[in-house]
Amino acid sequence: MAATELKHWVANRPRAKVRVTGLQTGIVMALLAVIVGTFFAVRPPEAYGICMACHGRDLINSLLNSNIGTRLTVSQASLVFPLLTTVGVVIGAGIGAVSSGEFKRRTPDNPVRTFIYGVLVMNFALLAAGCSIRLLLRFAHGELLGFLGFGGMVLGVVTATYWLQWRAQR
Amino acid sequence: MTTAAVASLIVGLIIGYLGQRSRMCFVGGIRDFILVRDTFLLKGLIAFGLVAWIAFPIAEQLAGNLSTLDASLDTTTLIFTLVGGLGVGYLSVLANGCPFRQHVLAGQGIMSSVTYLAGFYVGAVIFHLVVLPLLLRIS
Repeated sequence: MAATELKHWVANRPRAKVRVTGLQTGIVMALLAVIVGTFFAVRPPEAYGICMACHGRDLINSLLNSNIGTRLTVSQASLVFPLLTTVGVVIGAGIGAVSSGEFKRRTPDNPVRTFIYGVLVMNFALLAAGCSIRLLLRFAHGELLGFLGFGGMVLGVVTATYWLQWRAQR
Repeated sequence: MTTAAVASLIVGLIIGYLGQRSRMCFVGGIRDFILVRDTFLLKGLIAFGLVAWIAFPIAEQLAGNLSTLDASLDTTTLIFTLVGGLGVGYLSVLANGCPFRQHVLAGQGIMSSVTYLAGFYVGAVIFHLVVLPLLLRIS
């Protein structure tokens, strides 16, 4: 009896729906990116505080290097122990979703296409040495390459959005 | 150097939580503004840039290590960066979210994003084993 009551409570317990705006998230992310980059050894390279692509690359490559003896590229900040930003983001998002009752398993509709998108975005991001976040971070850091990469990204987003709009209206 | 790993894990947890609560996406802001004139995510993107721009010099002064900028500015790097940025922006819109957003969605149980992440990590290995050596040979 107690077990069913507990189950009932877990299923219907009051959820704390914490509301966070995009603006607040942007500010906190920028501060954290600068602070870990400057004070907590997430460097070199410079402006490396948050990057989903590069930190993800460091993680997978150093796992492979230490387990099957490959010699794949790993940034200097990840040489001793790989950066765990990407792992943290997945867990943090899981905590946010479970605590607000938004966690839901949903099956993909086109897994092959999403897989290929993943491969392609990672390749382009590593080519530019940064995902959308780090390109902006490098731009804010004052790098010409950051400006170029971020400018390219904005141009890509605008083109793709207009293309999707055009295709939907046809 | 393990400091960096622990710090990055904590940062990841915080931004993952915030990203889930705010649906933050670094390409979604521009996309939403063009499609429906919605500025919720765009504000986050602009704030990220501005705050980082102000915080970098202050943090570097406090830490006492002024960084050096732009080590290599050869044509190859310039082209790689521009093309890479274009590809990230264009494909992230088609994939329905920047890499950060995909990590958040994966943590939220969306299997489509889990598949994306599988491609993302396989992509990193492909890049260093095949794509980059090939590109460097051509250029």
